[in-house]
Amino acid sequence: MRAAAWAVGGAAALAWPLMAPRYFVFLATLVAVNAVVAIGLNLLSGYTNQLSFGHAGFLAVGAYTAAILTLRAPALPVPLTLLAAGLVTALVGLALGIPCLRLDGLYLAMATLAFGFVVTEAITNLGSLTHGNDGLRVPLARLGPWLLDTDRSRYYLALAVAAAMTLGALNVAATRTGRAFLAIRTSEIAAQASGINPAALKTVAFVLSAFYTGVAGGLFAFAVGFLSPDAFDVFLSVDFLVMIILGGLGSVWGAVAGAAIVTVLNDSLASFQAYRPLVFGAIMVAGMLFAPGGLAAMTRRQS
Amino acid sequence: MSGPALIHVVVSGLATGCIYALVALSLVIVYNATRTVNFAQGELLMISAFVAWTAQRAGLPLAAALVSGVAAGGLLAFLLERAIIRRAVSATHWDVLIITLGLSLALRAAAGIVWTNEELPFPALFSNRPIAIGPVRVAPVSLGVIAASLILMLALVALFRASRFGRAMRAVAQNQTAARLMGISVERVYAGSWVLAAVVGGVAGVLIAPVTFLSTKMGLIAINGFTAAVLGGFGSLPGAVAGGMLLGVIENLAPLYLPTGIRYSVPFLVMIAILVARPRGLFGTLERRKV
Repeated sequence: MRAAAWAVGGAAALAWPLMAPRYFVFLATLVAVNAVVAIGLNLLSGYTNQLSFGHAGFLAVGAYTAAILTLRAPALPVPLTLLAAGLVTALVGLALGIPCLRLDGLYLAMATLAFGFVVTEAITNLGSLTHGNDGLRVPLARLGPWLLDTDRSRYYLALAVAAAMTLGALNVAATRTGRAFLAIRTSEIAAQASGINPAALKTVAFVLSAFYTGVAGGLFAFAVGFLSPDAFDVFLSVDFLVMIILGGLGSVWGAVAGAAIVTVLNDSLASFQAYRPLVFGAIMVAGMLFAPGGLAAMTRRQS
Repeated sequence: MSGPALIHVVVSGLATGCIYALVALSLVIVYNATRTVNFAQGELLMISAFVAWTAQRAGLPLAAALVSGVAAGGLLAFLLERAIIRRAVSATHWDVLIITLGLSLALRAAAGIVWTNEELPFPALFSNRPIAIGPVRVAPVSLGVIAASLILMLALVALFRASRFGRAMRAVAQNQTAARLMGISVERVYAGSWVLAAVVGGVAGVLIAPVTFLSTKMGLIAINGFTAAVLGGFGSLPGAVAGGMLLGVIENLAPLYLPTGIRYSVPFLVMIAILVARPRGLFGTLERRKV
């Protein structure tokens, strides 16, 4: 049963570009990108009980790193570019995390909020590198002899990366470190008493979360082909939070489902811009009041 | 820079700082009672300003319009607390935080739908044409904002010191269980703190709207209010006032000495710096949690 579900899901994902029109292939690419961010954010928020309002900032760091790297070194194969985007973002995460993780949840949330604003301001002002508000055209990604110049090729790239990172996240939750995350989530004090070092683990979670988001940023850059600082505002960070709340904090599959729903909802509400935040706000309030565990808890209750 | 010009910059910084201080106070009032931050505080003050604008357009005298705007903010806060937050009282602070975040999104969108997403001019109580006091030139609006804020702050001091409700709020802030055992209705304090915070924030809203224009985005001032509260030590009322003033002055002085590009990042850089260097702020006490 489980294997069958995997096979059907996998086959559908692989066959999607053959069946769907071009725009929906692009939309599915965005779902994959957002799923990676949501999984990354979930590693932080879901497992270690910390709120981040700065993940749009991490996404921007990853996206600009990938874009600038491809501009300077066009021959670099895309997996290395994405890895570099992830690592640079992880380093930024480490630099932000070490001082900030001494802070309690609320203060960390505010520090990440401030971080997000500082990133977009920095992008605007580092014109020689980022072209500031004029925006940056992202060159095509290259994989050996192939140029990823179609939506279909970029979809498969995003799908492959998202699949790998989903597997990674599922396994984090099955390792010693993952169980330690869960212990901290349940009770930080009890975890500490059991020999877990919460500060060190929170730093790990933060850096890992930044890495995921940085890789997603690289994918995002290649998928949309054009970057400008206003695409990475605080409301994008809130969208990411909505994804994991909707999906259920702490659940990898919940994060993927939440990313899919929010991305599609975002797209279908595109012509009703004024109502979009109203819908998202209502989802957040209703979700917390009536379904605190999100989609993940609902399916669990039924089975 | 000459002395009088510097005084002009500092005075207008203090005026902005007073607004930050009021927003910081409203955040801290809710935090002290309920131990959560109301992310929708900025949107409540935005709605106060919009209601005041509507009331004035409908023909009310300006002063009455401003009062009705502030009252509407308080009423909305009461309804939200009763209808939504109260239901989540048993939930973790985390859940309430996300609920208020959702409310802030929804309220901003609703205001955009009911009114407009454009920027509107807001009628001013005070002129912004500078007047000369000796060698120093200051804008009456700065002095007016400072005076109005100080009066409100003094009223708050009186409320917290002398009234029954103020004492109940302080008791709940110190120890909720003990307060409940002393016969204080903690729920009533929750509701009261939401209303009081919305009123204080609403005053800040109608004071700042003539300066920054009226827009659905004006709620983002809550971020500066939070920075101010953190600067002064989150949870401390005098700290919120001092932090607000300090932030206002820093923000006004920074462009004189720093490259223009950094200007808009100043509050955020201040926030990160204070969180890293001294998380308990200037006046805050180190909080110790017991198991």
